[in-house]
Amino acid sequence: MIIAERRPIPEILANIENYEKVLVLGCRGCVAVCSAGGDREVAIMAEAIRLARSLQGKPIEVLEATFIRQCDPEYLEPLKGFKDEVEAVVSLACGVGVNLIADLYPDVRVYPGVDTTFYGANLALGEWVEKCRGCGDCIIDKTGGLCPIARCAKNLLNGPCGGSQEGRCEVRKDMPCIWHEIVERLKARGELERLMEIWEPKDWRPAGGDGLRVRIREDLRLNGGK
Amino acid sequence: MEGKSHLESLLEAGKFVVTAEIGPPRNADPEVIKKKAKILKGYVDAVNITDCQTAVVRVSSMASAVLIMSEGLEPVMQMTCRDRNRIGIQADLLGASTLGIKNLLCLTGDHPKFGNHPEAKPVFDLDSVQLLRLVKGLNEGRFENGEEIKGKRPYFFLGAAENPFAEPFDFRPYRLAKKVNAGARFIQTQIIYNVEKFRKFMEKCKELGLLERVYILAGITPPKSLAMAKYMKYHVPGLEVPDEVIKRLEDAKDKKEEGIQIAVDIIQQVREIPGVCGVHIMAIEWEEAVPEIVKRAGLYPRDGVPEFTPPFVVEKVVEKVVEKPVEVIVEKIVEKPVEVIVEKVIEKEVPLEGEMADEKIFTLIEILSDLKASLKNIKAGMESLEEGIARLEEEFLKKKEARPVIKEVVRKPEEKPKPEVKPEVKIEEKPEVKVEVKVEEIKPKEELKIEEKPVVEEKPIIEEKPEVKAVPEEKPEEKLEVKPEIKPEVKIEAKPEAIKIGGLKGIYRPLSERAKNIPQDLYLEKATGEIKEVVIGKGDKVIKVGGVSGLNFHFFEGEMRNGVKFALEILDVKPEDWPESLAKYYSDVFHDPALWAKKCVEEYGAEAVCLYLVGTDPNFLNLPPDHAKKITEAVAKAVDVPLIIWGSGNAEKDVEVLREVADIVGERGAVIGPIVEANHRTLAAVAMGYNLPVIASSPIDVNLAKQLNILLENMGLSLDKILMDPSIGALGYGLEYTYSVMERIRLAALFAQDTKLQVPFICSIGKEVWKTKEAGLPTDDLMGEAESRGILMEALTGVTLALAGGDLLIMRHPKAVELCKELFKGLSLS
Amino acid sequence: MSKNGLKLAILCCNYTNLSDREDFLEIPVNLEIKRFPCSGKIEITDMLRALREGAKGVMVAGCLPGTCHNGRGSERAEKRVLGAQKIIEEIGLESERIKMFFVDRLDGGDFIEKAKAFYKDILNLELKEREKK
Repeated sequence: MIIAERRPIPEILANIENYEKVLVLGCRGCVAVCSAGGDREVAIMAEAIRLARSLQGKPIEVLEATFIRQCDPEYLEPLKGFKDEVEAVVSLACGVGVNLIADLYPDVRVYPGVDTTFYGANLALGEWVEKCRGCGDCIIDKTGGLCPIARCAKNLLNGPCGGSQEGRCEVRKDMPCIWHEIVERLKARGELERLMEIWEPKDWRPAGGDGLRVRIREDLRLNGGK
Repeated sequence: MEGKSHLESLLEAGKFVVTAEIGPPRNADPEVIKKKAKILKGYVDAVNITDCQTAVVRVSSMASAVLIMSEGLEPVMQMTCRDRNRIGIQADLLGASTLGIKNLLCLTGDHPKFGNHPEAKPVFDLDSVQLLRLVKGLNEGRFENGEEIKGKRPYFFLGAAENPFAEPFDFRPYRLAKKVNAGARFIQTQIIYNVEKFRKFMEKCKELGLLERVYILAGITPPKSLAMAKYMKYHVPGLEVPDEVIKRLEDAKDKKEEGIQIAVDIIQQVREIPGVCGVHIMAIEWEEAVPEIVKRAGLYPRDGVPEFTPPFVVEKVVEKVVEKPVEVIVEKIVEKPVEVIVEKVIEKEVPLEGEMADEKIFTLIEILSDLKASLKNIKAGMESLEEGIARLEEEFLKKKEARPVIKEVVRKPEEKPKPEVKPEVKIEEKPEVKVEVKVEEIKPKEELKIEEKPVVEEKPIIEEKPEVKAVPEEKPEEKLEVKPEIKPEVKIEAKPEAIKIGGLKGIYRPLSERAKNIPQDLYLEKATGEIKEVVIGKGDKVIKVGGVSGLNFHFFEGEMRNGVKFALEILDVKPEDWPESLAKYYSDVFHDPALWAKKCVEEYGAEAVCLYLVGTDPNFLNLPPDHAKKITEAVAKAVDVPLIIWGSGNAEKDVEVLREVADIVGERGAVIGPIVEANHRTLAAVAMGYNLPVIASSPIDVNLAKQLNILLENMGLSLDKILMDPSIGALGYGLEYTYSVMERIRLAALFAQDTKLQVPFICSIGKEVWKTKEAGLPTDDLMGEAESRGILMEALTGVTLALAGGDLLIMRHPKAVELCKELFKGLSLS
Repeated sequence: MSKNGLKLAILCCNYTNLSDREDFLEIPVNLEIKRFPCSGKIEITDMLRALREGAKGVMVAGCLPGTCHNGRGSERAEKRVLGAQKIIEEIGLESERIKMFFVDRLDGGDFIEKAKAFYKDILNLELKEREKK
């Protein structure tokens, strides 16, 4: 899932400084699951904004809403009901939601309420770790399912580097050296010779090196995509 | 193959080769590189040039390689994947080849996190194995994309690095094989101290049939100091330093000498291992050691000299250039090519036709010649300065000779086994004062040998007259006046006043006079940054530290608004390991930190007091936060000078303790710490809550210190609330390393506008000095008088660190503080 | 005792102690006591709202760890207090204005003592603030 994190409140306050009525808009997708932009976080953000503004002596009216998703135009429809009522929207969705609102509703001033950080897994309550970088060309079939692009600080394809010590990464000592794990895993499976092949330099185009990434499925499109 | 490198030819001929390493400077001075090259010339077959090692910006490897060639040395250019993608890499490699560089070491590179631009985007488009393969392709005439190189191909003798000690250990030989398959022809290994482990690695390489396919050069580094060896052991990942090496250094009197010998021994051991074709000596910032190592290892003289045509050499600059107005030079340059400013262009000329002859080359040459000329001037100036310094030293020395110190010393009977039985040593100050011989009661019948011994002090600290006094061999009890340590509750009647500090008696000549023959702009280098001022305490006893706008005591360049400040250190519990020569000053108040603090202020004039909560250390007494709270409260009530509250150093426990303590000293504006990376979040919040300054403590490293400051600043703590504790080492225990790190931090802060380092230093000196063995050894012939030795060690450490930039010194011995102050007064005359 | 115009909020679990407004009369403030089914039900928004509605400090009280009616409700409350503290710090308030207290379920004296201590802390903060102005 996409992991996001609440932005510092002073920055949000600065963005909406001149407004007197705003909407804090959550999303029940990924950001709700990672406790950054669901109903509860919307309520907290709204209350925090109210408190801060009343302390500044400039009370503000804050509406609260949470959509099922902000990354689908049809789920954004209800925004039409709010857009004339409020001066600005603070979206707690990931960057996709904020962009889509900006695309579809050019007259709505929308501000991000979270920083979109990475694709990660929820390992324990309150703990998320990156597992994939969306590089567009999956290679983990060759590495025992462990991704060196996302999880090696140097994106090595022929690792591990000389800084691997006690199975830990030298860049993030609290994290395992993923190449160490790959070697150990393939060794246990008797497939170590797979690592003896020299891995070709990666084609970074699918990772975004080729400009904006677009995916079109003709078998699903109706009306030429309209 | 056309144009094999010297290194390649030697290896192919089966010679045992020696390579070394040069780290280019962090400025645009070509002389630094050339100077290092000159040291190595004749002693090594080729020299590696690092490519921004540890991700710190430096002169590029390629430019340095060219400079090295101009000195007649063959370079091994290093290329990492950190900073360039495959386009940049190939472009640079073509360029390097056109400049005549033939050896190339392919590395993945250190992550930017470890460098001075951790914010940079790491590239890592390729890794080292892919880079090797790419260069092999270039050698064979094709680019990475498979396209053919039309025209002249580059040629590189390809090398790679491997760390035989990194984990997973048994995979390392396979990874080496991968590098060989990718095109590596020689390997330079990580630093080897653990020869046995390296031998195993080599055996595995042999099994894999690698030894016939690749030349392996063993990595050697002479440890420059004990601190460096320990640093490598504990802080450098993938580097194994056996305890034996540490022990050798610990036992050695001359650490540098021992470091060189260790390197020589390792060379001799690895030479015996089949498959080792040479050594790669990495004397980090210690190039001078290389010739000595090579000689002692029996590897001197080297075979042959490299043959190559340097791309261009600029020599013999016409000195008049500098004196001429700039416009004229430019005109001339435009009119005529190189010859105008360069008298002789050695060997082949730069092909200047076509686009090469553009202004950039001229500018470069112009800069080079300007630099050379001004360097000569600087050299003349330096000589003048040195002369002045020598004169000053002479004055000191004279004084030293004029004031011999003869002391009366009671020797500890040799047969006494128990260390706690310490005969008290009293040094005579004035003839009128009676000698006090204090011996513990425990063994009163021991025979005491009394000796008289003249001791010549290094520094003029002890003012006394030679006096000989015999101590009768009767029962010492009858003479007992003071019993320190055993019964601390007994009030000491006679104050220990054995040591008196004399003043500096030299005649001061102002700098303007000493340097009158040198143009001011040659030695004057004003700082562009300024150290922040941190305010400690509240009210009229407040002290300010920092606010420095030049190097410490460089009064001709900048200000030291607040001078160097001192704090006396007290403990929350009765100290267990303080030597008697220190303890006697405080033993009457050991039982009560409040009284202790009071004594520091009232008797010894402390302008600040540092309370070290050592008792809360979980590895010591593990006293609860309540204890700390109680003690702090009492101390805070007892004295009104600013306080420094120093936790046990255990990251977790300090959070609990300092949180409690902050509540008490919150209104006093006391300093709390040490904050380390592990607890910076909570403690920064605590400090901000009470608006207190903090001690940011990091393990002796420029970047770690900076990183912690950044972390704290990110938490919202402003920089003028931070005192940096660089983790210091005492005299003989890494002082020189501390000095160098502190100096580098201070230079970065003042001259490189590194704002995150513009923070004053706090140095906890007493702790480090008084725990050393030497500070605690009793008086004897070899080590001299115990108390003056301790005082000198503490004062020397203090003075040295103050010179390196120390702003607030925490010390223990009142006399050591006095001595430092005296010296600083002398230094402050200008 | 006369009230000094300061307003404090106590958010607590219904089962945490039965001390009521009368028991806190010693504390000379305008006290608002809000009871929840469990301290684990006290949300960050409740704490922020109390501040917005004029309280100068919010005391969150839950059962001693191990004695919570619902297992770990009071531990949750403690974590939420951390979350709320972070938010008010960002807004520019002192984090001490919201504080977690574990109180004995039976001993009313304990609860009252803790409330008093909290009141003193808040009073100090207020005095400091006035000094600044």
